[in-house]
Amino acid sequence: MADIRVPNDLWNADETPEGVVANWLYRDGSEVGAGDTVAEIMVEKATMEIAAPAAGRLTITVPKDGVVRPGTVIGRIDES
Amino acid sequence: MEPTKNQLLWMYDAMAKARYYEDTMAKAYMEGKSPKFDIGAGPVPGEMHLSAGQEPCAAGVCVHLRFDDTVTATHRPHHVAIAKGVDLNKMTAEIYGKRSGLAGGRGGHMHLFDPAVNFACSGIIGESAGPATGAGLAAKLQGTDAVAVAYLGEGAANQGAFHEALNLASLWQLPVIFVIEDNAWGISVPKSKSTAVPDNSVRAQGYNMPGVHVADNDTLKVFEAAGEAVERARRGDGPTLIEVQTYRYYGHFQGDPEVYRPKDEVAHLKARDPIDRLRKHMIDQAGVTEAEADEALSQAQAEVDAAFEFARQSDDPAPEDALEHVFA
Amino acid sequence: MPNNRVLTGSRAMVEAIAQEMRADPKVFVMGEDVGPYGGIFSSTTGLLDEFGEERVRDTPISETAFIGAGVGAAMAGMRPIVELMFVDFFGVCMDAIYNLAAKNTYFSGGNCKVPMVLMTATGGGYNDAGQHSQTLHATFAHLPGMKVVAPSNAYDAKGLMTSAIRDDSPVLYMFHKGLQGLAWMAAPEEASTEVPEDAYSIPFGEAKVVREGRDVTIVAISMTVHHARAAAEALAAEGVDAEVIDLRSLVPLDREAVLKSVRKTGRLVVADEDYRNFGLTAEVIASVVETDPGLLRSPPRRVAFPDIPIPYSRPMEQFALPDADKIRAAVQQTLGKAAA
Repeated sequence: MADIRVPNDLWNADETPEGVVANWLYRDGSEVGAGDTVAEIMVEKATMEIAAPAAGRLTITVPKDGVVRPGTVIGRIDES
Repeated sequence: MEPTKNQLLWMYDAMAKARYYEDTMAKAYMEGKSPKFDIGAGPVPGEMHLSAGQEPCAAGVCVHLRFDDTVTATHRPHHVAIAKGVDLNKMTAEIYGKRSGLAGGRGGHMHLFDPAVNFACSGIIGESAGPATGAGLAAKLQGTDAVAVAYLGEGAANQGAFHEALNLASLWQLPVIFVIEDNAWGISVPKSKSTAVPDNSVRAQGYNMPGVHVADNDTLKVFEAAGEAVERARRGDGPTLIEVQTYRYYGHFQGDPEVYRPKDEVAHLKARDPIDRLRKHMIDQAGVTEAEADEALSQAQAEVDAAFEFARQSDDPAPEDALEHVFA
Repeated sequence: MPNNRVLTGSRAMVEAIAQEMRADPKVFVMGEDVGPYGGIFSSTTGLLDEFGEERVRDTPISETAFIGAGVGAAMAGMRPIVELMFVDFFGVCMDAIYNLAAKNTYFSGGNCKVPMVLMTATGGGYNDAGQHSQTLHATFAHLPGMKVVAPSNAYDAKGLMTSAIRDDSPVLYMFHKGLQGLAWMAAPEEASTEVPEDAYSIPFGEAKVVREGRDVTIVAISMTVHHARAAAEALAAEGVDAEVIDLRSLVPLDREAVLKSVRKTGRLVVADEDYRNFGLTAEVIASVVETDPGLLRSPPRRVAFPDIPIPYSRPMEQFALPDADKIRAAVQQTLGKAAA
C-alpha cells in the first residue's frame, strides 16, 4: 500500500495552516498509473496537484472539501 | 510647487485612511472564506481589488480638487474614492451589499457612484476615460472651471478607449487630467510584455498634450505634476497625461495566488512605503509634529472603523429591491 | 482496467485544446493571462509549458486588436483560439466579432474562411456584479455568421471544443465559470464527469435528452441544465415526470429535439441564465408555436434572468437568478397548479 500524502513542503503552513481537497480526478476504486494527477489541493486560492505515488487501485480517505494540512494522508494506492 | 503644511496633513490623512481601509477590507474579505476559499462566501463576496501602496496617486491629485470636479476611477477604486471624499459609511455599506449603501447594494465594490462629490468608477478597463472627457466637456459647456480626472491602470493604456479619449480631449481642449497608475502588473502580465513603450507619458505627444512621468511612487512629485495639470485645465489650456510609477502590495484581486510575481518583491516595496516617506517629510521638513501626525492617523483609523461598523450593522436589501432603479 | 477518470470542465476544455494543438501546428492560443497564469478560469492551464510562448500568447488589454488579429490570422491560414476573458467585455471589441469574423465568409462568397474559436467565460452567482456576471447567449446567437455553443458538463466541454477547433467557421465557445470545477468557485457535482482520454468531437446542433419524461419538457443550456435536473428530481417526488433537454448549442439550434419532446409532453418550460427579453427562451418557444401551437396544452413558461443589470448584493442576485425552485414552480404552472 502506498499513501497519497500532501507533501510537507507544499505550502507555508506557518502562514496558512489549512487547505482543502479541491477535487478528486478519479472515482474511488479506480485504477491509476504512477504519476497520474489524482487530486487537487487548494490553499487560499492557489491550486496544487497531487500525483499518485504508485500504480494500483485508489482508495479515497479524505473526500472533496475535506480540510488538510501538510503531511495529511488523503488516500491510498493498493499496488497488489 | 510645494505643498503647504495643511496640504501635507490632508494628503497624509487621505493616504493613511486609504491604507488602513484596505488592510481592514483584506481581513473582512477573508471572513467566511477559510479554510476553503469560496469566492461567493462571507460578508464581502465576489471580487476584491485592493489599492494598498497606490495611495500617492489618489492623495497627490485629489488634494487639488473641489467637490464639483469629477473623478472617474477603475476596478481598484477605494483609495481614490476616499481621497475624493466619498461618504465612507455608505461606500463601505455598498461593498457589504447593504441597503444603506451608495446604490442600495446593487453596484458593489467596482461600481461606486457618489454624485455628491462627482465620483464614479467602472469595472471595464479603459472605460473611465470617456466619461471623464465628457465631464470636462460639460464643464466647458456650462462655463465653469471645473476639471475632470480619469484614473487608469498601465494596462488600460493599451485599450482603444484610452487613445480615443486622449485625442478627443486634446482636439476639443477639454479640462481633463488622465492619471495612469502604473503598478507594473496587468493581472499576471508585466508592463514589458504588454506595452510597446516603457513610459506611457511619451504617448501624450501623439495626442498633442503634455505628458509627465512620476517615478518611484513619490507623493510630492505627484502633488506637483497634478497641481500644474489642474491649473492648466482650469485656465482652459486643455488636458494632461500623467503616469505614476506606483505599486500594489496585494495581488490583482484578493485570492490571487500571484504565481507570476517574484516572492521578495513586496518586501522590497514595503521598505519604500510612501506613507512612511510622507510622514518623515512632514515632520522633518514642514514643521508637523509627531503628535499631530499620530493624531491624524488615529482619527483616520477611527473613521474607517466606524464605517465598517456602520456597514456590518446595516440591513440587507430586500430581494425585490433588485427590480428598482433600472430606469429613471 | 477500469479507469474512472473524472475531469473538471476546465481540465476537459484544456485537454481538447492540447490534443488539437499537438495534431495541428496551425492551432495557437492568445488572450489575457493565458500564459503563465493559465487563464483566469483555468481555460489554458499547462498549455504554455507544453507549447511555448509563440503558440500560447499573453496579449495586452487590447481586445479589438487581438480579436481582429485573430480574424486576420484565421483568414491567413492559422486556426486561432482567442480568449475574451469575460463575455461582458465584448462591448469593447464587438466589431471584430460580429462584423468581421461572422461576416467575412459571406462577403467573400465563401472564398474566405475564418476558422477562429472565441472562448469566453459567462455567468454569475458569486457576486461579481453587473459587468462581470452576464451570460449573453442571445447577444451572439442573434447575429448571423457565427456558431455558438455552451457546454453544461466536462464531457461536452471537451467534445464541443474539439469540434469548435476543427470547424472552419467562427465559433463562440461560451463556458460558464460556475461549471469549470474551479476549487474556489462552487460548481454542481454533475458538472465534472468521466472524460475519455482519446480525442473525440460532439457535433453542433445536437441537443441531448439528459432525463426522459412524459409530463413536461424542460429545455435548458449551460448552468440551467443542472437546475433543471434538480427540479426534475424534486418534481418526481411530487409525481411529475419531467423530460430535460440540454441544448448544448444555440447556433445551430436543435429545434427538432424540442419539437419531438413537446409532441410527447405537450408542456414546455425553457430555462436560461441570460436576460429574459428577446432571448433564447423566446426563440425556443417561437420555434414550437410557429410549427404548431396546438402541440401545447398550456402556455409555455420562461425562467430567465429579469431585465435588470445584475445586482451585486447576495439577496438581490439570488432573487434574480434562475434556480431549481423557479423551474419547479414554472412546471407547476404549466400543469395548471399554483406555485407551491
